[in-house]
Amino acid sequence: MASSQHVLLSPAELAYLHASLSLTPPIRPDGRSLTQFRPLVAETGILPGTNGSARICFADGTEAIVGVKAEVERTRTGHDSPSLDDEGAEDDDDLDNQQDVVKGDNDWVEMTVEIPGYRDDDAGTVFLSAMLSEALLADGEFTKRLWINRRFHWKLYLDILLISPPLSYPLPLLSLTTHLALLATRLPRLKSEGDEDPLFDDDWAAAPYLYARPVQKGSKKTASAPTARPPVTLLVMAVGNNIIFDPSKEELAVADVALAVSVGEHTGFASSKSTEMDIDTEEIKGYHNLRLLSVRTIDPPSRLTPPGIPNASNSAYGANAGAKDTEKKKQQQEQARTAESEAVEGVWKSPRGGAKTLVMAALVQKVLEKGGVADEVLDALDGVDLN
Amino acid sequence: MPITILPPKAFRDQPPSRALNHDSDDIMSDATSDSEDSDSQPGGVSLDGGATIHPRKRRSAAPASSTFTKRPKTNVTSSVPRSAIVTPGERITTDPQWMRGHGTYLSSASLGEQAITSSLAGIVTRTNKLLSVRPLRARYTPEVGDLVVGRIVEVQAKRWRVDVGSTQLAALPLSAINLPGGILRKRTETDELQIRTFFAEGDLVVAEVQQLFQDGGAVLHTRSLKYGKLRNGVFMAVSGTGGGGGVVRSRRQVWTLESANNGGPIDVILGVNGYVWISKHVEPVVPEEAKNQTTGITNLEEVVSATMYSSQNDRIEPETMREIARIRGVVTALVENGLRVDEDMVTKGYNEAVELALVSAEGPDDVYLGGERGEQLAAALTAV
Repeated sequence: MASSQHVLLSPAELAYLHASLSLTPPIRPDGRSLTQFRPLVAETGILPGTNGSARICFADGTEAIVGVKAEVERTRTGHDSPSLDDEGAEDDDDLDNQQDVVKGDNDWVEMTVEIPGYRDDDAGTVFLSAMLSEALLADGEFTKRLWINRRFHWKLYLDILLISPPLSYPLPLLSLTTHLALLATRLPRLKSEGDEDPLFDDDWAAAPYLYARPVQKGSKKTASAPTARPPVTLLVMAVGNNIIFDPSKEELAVADVALAVSVGEHTGFASSKSTEMDIDTEEIKGYHNLRLLSVRTIDPPSRLTPPGIPNASNSAYGANAGAKDTEKKKQQQEQARTAESEAVEGVWKSPRGGAKTLVMAALVQKVLEKGGVADEVLDALDGVDLN
Repeated sequence: MPITILPPKAFRDQPPSRALNHDSDDIMSDATSDSEDSDSQPGGVSLDGGATIHPRKRRSAAPASSTFTKRPKTNVTSSVPRSAIVTPGERITTDPQWMRGHGTYLSSASLGEQAITSSLAGIVTRTNKLLSVRPLRARYTPEVGDLVVGRIVEVQAKRWRVDVGSTQLAALPLSAINLPGGILRKRTETDELQIRTFFAEGDLVVAEVQQLFQDGGAVLHTRSLKYGKLRNGVFMAVSGTGGGGGVVRSRRQVWTLESANNGGPIDVILGVNGYVWISKHVEPVVPEEAKNQTTGITNLEEVVSATMYSSQNDRIEPETMREIARIRGVVTALVENGLRVDEDMVTKGYNEAVELALVSAEGPDDVYLGGERGEQLAAALTAV
């Protein structure tokens, strides 16, 4: 599935959709408000053989499952760093100094996306998995969690499966499911110390979460303890001046611009000031500490849609239909030429030219807003029962 | 609230767990023994599950504790007609008393024994002695005279190929449409050359099934003023006649609904194939040039058909768009809650939805009917 998935919609439909989405306030075909997501059903821990798994199902039947599997792997050492395996050659002081350096490598995470009906090397599928893994690896914090000691690390396999045919662009669904699966992921507790061969606790109940839980006090969460969490990628699109979240397939078909915005959360201590971007929200109590990780433009399928033919130049319309004499034909052709260059109300014309920078900035701003959509999405995801 | 995340629903009607039925591995003998269980009337009961001649509806009788219960009844609720889901290739019964119906075939189970086997994934239904499997979901099977909504997917030299949600694409020959400029005009080579000006790829048409091929493929026609290209509205695909909830064949598939909140009249077309078109009702406009000519009964069709191939939408008021979205929401809610979609249900549902919106926090302009609201709507409809 290419990111610019070809949708077969008639020009009349496209014109109607575009008109209704450009209104203020816009009317979405399914009646949702601008920022509203489709209602979804989520659960975690559905696959007993994995370290963490999740399933999300939309009301229209689109369904995705994600399984996370972890394996212990020997860390490859570069030729420039001292070999760790022959410990006799090493200085004890040197060892102590390096002990605390937790390093990660992007190779430690392997992500595969499977969309039914599409090859796994299809450009669209590859693009999806690139976007998802990019968000995950962007800040370099994630792979540090997989570090065991200087000789071993966890290798994480993320298998993302869309079970139903892609009824809409599946990026938000896959991202939310991956997020939940990673939240539910637990790794066995390490019993060994230092650079020994790792030895793990058999007791699964004692296994810590990959992303440590915030301290729960009854049902109330302590907001003071910021916890890191996996990123969430949201699909945002713009029609005219309206910014629309979680677009359905039809809505995406008339988008002027579509963006995939990945948002993470500050861990507070881990990030240094220098890496912060201007648009990252400042820390405010009660809100998530949002951090922009990556932005990708999605090629909206609207650019490939056929334009509508205005009545003036439609040879099968009205009195033109029977037109035989050359005079009329000539006149008609002239009309057709003007109609092609001008926008006629009620006739679909695919968007031309690039996205405006202002619109793009507005899209990103809207996502990162304090108490905005990303905030509420993260809150809602917190509410999912992890087991 | 931008996002609602619900916990997974527990199965409402726990289907009797097949894993518990250790004493038999075939469904029908199970079911027969089950009907013995609930049989409170004397006579006609065979202990061996042999010749029970009670009709299916007996099952809805109140449960009666029976002395000859073969297995624990804990998982059987007698108030709910027991429906077992079978998968293709699954043996339903080897009992020779049953006749095989739709969705089943005979296969030899063991020495000289014939087993009725399911060829579909669906629910076993019994009509007296006839066993059939109703599919959980099925593609549309065209029948002559059906009103369908279809989407042009391919343009060929003399015909269009139309997606109608069937196993095959339907054909719409150039000779089966109303050519502009007179209904009874013979098609010419010029028409063949400009076939795309009538219908192009992606266009939606409302048509009628004219005839069927041997293999189940349909031939459509649009030779009526009711049929033709669709505009001024939204399309949605739900499941059609065949399985589960969805559009059912009914007296009227097309009607005009007078909407609330100044929405004006709205046309609803429920294609038998499950494709639905909801649009603003537009009175046929007579083009300027045709007005000068005299419009009589003889050339009325000529004038009306002039707008037939337009792909330009008329001006649609936001109020109308809002009501169209509401009707679309009603249809979605009906389908998601497994209710049938027909004129009666859509009209009732629409009125209910308008009232629901009045009491909602956002006011009458709120047309959202997803999630819980859809369930509310369905509950209100089924309660009546």
